Amino acid sequence: MTADAPVVRAVNVVKIYQTGGLPVPAVRGVDLTVEAGEFVAIMGPSGSGKSTLVHMLGGLDTRTSGEIWLDGRRADTLSESGWAVLRREKIGFVFQFFNLVANMTVADNVELPALLGGVSPRQAKERRDYLLGELGLADRAEASPAQLSGGEQQRVALARALANQPRLLLADEPTGNLDSRNTRDVLRLLGKVHGQGQTIVLVTHDARVASMADRVVSLLDGQIVDDGAIPKSRRRPLGAAGDVVELRS
Amino acid sequence: MRQSLLALLAKEPAHGYELKQALETIFGGAYPSPNIGQIYVTLGRLEKDGYVRSVDVEQANRPNKKVYYITAAGREALETWVEEPTEGPRVRDEFFMKLVLAPMTGLSDRMALVNRQRRHYLALMRDLRELAERTDPANRVALLLIEGAMLHLQADLDWLERCQEDLP
Amino acid sequence: MITTRTAELRWIRADLRARRGQAALTVLAVAGIVTALIIAATLLEDGTNPWRGLFERSNGAHIWIHSKDVPDVSALRRLNGVTDVAGPYHSAPATLVTRGRRVPITLQETPAAFPAVARPLLREGRWLDVRTPNGVVVERSFARALGLRPGSPFTVTGLNGATHALTVAGLAESGDQGFYPEWTPGLAWTLGQTLNVVEPAPGRTETVTGLRLADPATTDLVVQRAVFTMRNQVQRVTTWREVRASMELDNRLLGLLLALFGGAGLAAAALALANAAGGRVLMQLRDIATLKSLGFTRGQVVRMLVTEHGTLGLLGIAAGAVVARLITAYAMGETVVVPLSAGPLAAIIVGTSLTVLIAVLIPAWRGGRTPPIPAAPAAPPRGHLSRLARVALLVRLPPALVLGARDAFTRRTPAALTVCGVAIPMMMITIGLGCWTTLDDFIRHPESVGQAAALTVRPGELTAEEARQRAMADQDVVAAYPGAELDALVPWQTRTVRTRALGLSSDPYPFPVVEGRMFADRGEAVAGQGLLDLLGVRIGDRVRMTIGGTPLIVRIVGRVVEPEQDGEVLSFGVDSLAAKDALPPQFYALVLRPGADAAQVRARLQGQGLEVAQAVNPADRLAVIRVIIVALVAVLALIGLASLLTASALGLRDHVFDLAVLKAMGLTPRQVTATLVTATGLPAAVGVVLGAAAGASWSRWLIDLEGRGSGVGAGIGRAPTPGMLAATLLIAIGAALLVALIPARRAARARVPVTAR
Repeated sequence: MTADAPVVRAVNVVKIYQTGGLPVPAVRGVDLTVEAGEFVAIMGPSGSGKSTLVHMLGGLDTRTSGEIWLDGRRADTLSESGWAVLRREKIGFVFQFFNLVANMTVADNVELPALLGGVSPRQAKERRDYLLGELGLADRAEASPAQLSGGEQQRVALARALANQPRLLLADEPTGNLDSRNTRDVLRLLGKVHGQGQTIVLVTHDARVASMADRVVSLLDGQIVDDGAIPKSRRRPLGAAGDVVELRS
Repeated sequence: MRQSLLALLAKEPAHGYELKQALETIFGGAYPSPNIGQIYVTLGRLEKDGYVRSVDVEQANRPNKKVYYITAAGREALETWVEEPTEGPRVRDEFFMKLVLAPMTGLSDRMALVNRQRRHYLALMRDLRELAERTDPANRVALLLIEGAMLHLQADLDWLERCQEDLP
Repeated sequence: MITTRTAELRWIRADLRARRGQAALTVLAVAGIVTALIIAATLLEDGTNPWRGLFERSNGAHIWIHSKDVPDVSALRRLNGVTDVAGPYHSAPATLVTRGRRVPITLQETPAAFPAVARPLLREGRWLDVRTPNGVVVERSFARALGLRPGSPFTVTGLNGATHALTVAGLAESGDQGFYPEWTPGLAWTLGQTLNVVEPAPGRTETVTGLRLADPATTDLVVQRAVFTMRNQVQRVTTWREVRASMELDNRLLGLLLALFGGAGLAAAALALANAAGGRVLMQLRDIATLKSLGFTRGQVVRMLVTEHGTLGLLGIAAGAVVARLITAYAMGETVVVPLSAGPLAAIIVGTSLTVLIAVLIPAWRGGRTPPIPAAPAAPPRGHLSRLARVALLVRLPPALVLGARDAFTRRTPAALTVCGVAIPMMMITIGLGCWTTLDDFIRHPESVGQAAALTVRPGELTAEEARQRAMADQDVVAAYPGAELDALVPWQTRTVRTRALGLSSDPYPFPVVEGRMFADRGEAVAGQGLLDLLGVRIGDRVRMTIGGTPLIVRIVGRVVEPEQDGEVLSFGVDSLAAKDALPPQFYALVLRPGADAAQVRARLQGQGLEVAQAVNPADRLAVIRVIIVALVAVLALIGLASLLTASALGLRDHVFDLAVLKAMGLTPRQVTATLVTATGLPAAVGVVLGAAAGASWSRWLIDLEGRGSGVGAGIGRAPTPGMLAATLLIAIGAALLVALIPARRAARARVPVTAR
């Protein structure tokens, strides 16, 4: 709402799952603030609660206690449909398994959020053409997701997440299912949209992806153990006379 | 450096500056650019060991240049180098020493050490990524070298995670 | 909001496009059910009330006025509400002499060209022709009762005693008069000139004039005005209501059976849709989760699914209504004249529509509840070897069977869906077969529905004893029971009930007693369920009624299956009646030798000058049910197959990963096929067996319930014969396995990569 409010503010967020009657804490009191334009990577071993945290930030999962503020507005008290409406307006999601709607063409997949957001079909089509063009998929608009490679699918998923120009892009292991070449393509795109001012919160295992971020948050057992910017390299920048091998010795 | 120079000479005789240029072309920006003095020192040692010989070639209005060629002993040494398996992963890691020993001294706690190291690794990773972006995509050798470094770095980060999880 | 709708419609369109075949099958199944229901209801309506069709087609007159002289037609025509006038026609009483009997008839004048109003419907032979003036057209039910055909001699004696040799030219039906013998005297149409020959005296003829009305509801008013207009000329008036009442059959059993099938049809429609929609939703859970993560609300998801699947259902209903209309109009134009009236049609359409929406709502709600987190694709099966499977392995069953069986029941929801999806149609098919067996039983054992006597003989002009002797002289007649049917007044009831005295207390007619015992003494009686319900009495109670002023007190000692009068009949021995009512007996009920052809015996006895009526088996009246059973069984079988297809598609999707693993484990393609077939076929076979068992045990109970409700009484229901049941089971299981085999074979041959999708 207000221009200077952080895009995300989580206050002491807790998530406890009930499995077989036993309470299993997944997130244990996380405080996190993400300012507009920031790119935050969330790292941590599997089971550390990083996916759960991102799902809660996007309202896909409910928090057990704590507060979640999105764009200056309290969101954790919203109903399921309240969250849905908030998502379609302010949040774009990218998943590990792409999750394109199998029956719909690439074009339909990308237009869907825009249509859902209340944009006219013509505008939705314009936005779709622009995004697919940017992602180098203009010629695949009428293909079905099954005809695309994994990398292409994830690029379409990214286009879909960006269709409504969301305030916040949430990504859960976006490269977890891609080979290194496709990972590089998706990374380049993430870097590009971040360069254009997109706020991104991304869960990853992949150091290459995390190294794109301005800031890395490390989770361990559902708690934040480290939160800070990636420092500038203490040595002269690599490249002119590279010393990769030296790095290793 | 000894073996790479021997290998280059096994291809064809060359003088020192030619060897430096050949190394830079093949490995690109990813390889530490060799110092010409270092090359001449190495060539001198190789000559002393009897692996290479040199002949002076006269040049018009320039000082003579020294062209090196490989000897039979040198070829044998090169063969041995190629055939023997290369050393495996490092088992001696400086950071691990710090991680185990520093908390005992009370100078630092493990969590802080791990976090600092992680950020450092990520910074390195960013440098590598930027280097890869600047590298000519046609230079497969250089890119593979960078990717190898990245994978090692990823393994170090994963190991860091394990240390954080399992060390008390 | 409008554009939000666009997003939903976009998804629905894409989903429908991705499964055209399945969607078409759903529409077809619903359309088939609706068509069957509408046609069944049309046949029922037409069969139980032929008046509507006849009246409509003959463009009949609502009011017939019988007068002495020719009325002022123009004055009648001017009456408010009258649209057309038939006649006036001359009409004269006469006597038909055929096979030694004299039967009173009415001869009515008719023009040689078909009249526009009250036009007789020619069914056989030719219409009247001026060139052959001695030809007559006979009302069909009358002709049937007397055994007349086109070409038969039609010898008529006028009131003056002169005999005229006429010939039957044709047979026709009419909506202006009831069927013979309920409506007497019998009717024959002749040309005016012929009528004048038979009855030259104008004083002995009367004039009939028909009025066709714009609104049948104004009948009473128009009658009053017509009577007033015609002053004292009017002798009597008949209206369409009397005609309709006389044509109506007691149709409660038929109606109830049809309602049963209607219910079954609705359940089948619901099942077809719930299964298609449910299976589809199960397959789409991941996509639905994705949609929700994009910002679709629960309400939107539910609305989308209801719209998609509901539209298919409603489309099916519309298609079914149209197809039924076309079939009744073209394919059945000969038998059915009028399409179903608005009431039942609306009931069927509204009923199926509601069923469709409810059936769709459940899976839609399930879809709406999907959490918005899209799970990783194809969660690994959580199956473990059950104790049963371990036992199976121990006794060395083929591994494919064991693996298949394990798969079949470790995933509970799809297994339950398959079992139900097959069991319910199978159950209804079995119930349908039960109805079929019941009808067969009616025909094969008429004595079990109270029709031990195939023929009744009325003495006519003979004495009762002569009639009995002549009847008993026939080689095929085994027994003749004296009988009388009388209406009795029940105290506290404003209506009469039928009492039937048949046989003697010492030698009772073989009534099918299903409860209590047969009457064995004077003052004892047996009753149909309808009568017990009407009077609120039970077996063992005494009832008191008056017959023609004479009180009759009987104790009801048993309940019989009573197909007539909605079961409101009290039966006892002739000796229980007062002598004035019992002697001489009105008729004799003839029991024939088993295997004797009732129609032949009847013809022989008619040749002896006896008036013989043949009992109408209730099964003949219920014949329409058989058509419906066949149609419904076909549709139900389709539905069962459709739900099996859904199940095997669902199963295959779950198995994509297992397939690669199974192959890697070293199973041959044949074994993989066997595993898949077992996985789908086993729940299907379980469903078939469960459904058949439930159907077999319920069909008898359900039909008896229907029987009880209709007054005929419980005790008529039969389960399908073991042979029929076994054949059905074999066919059903065979079809199920075959349906499972096709996709399984294809899947077993395909190369399946071991990768995530």
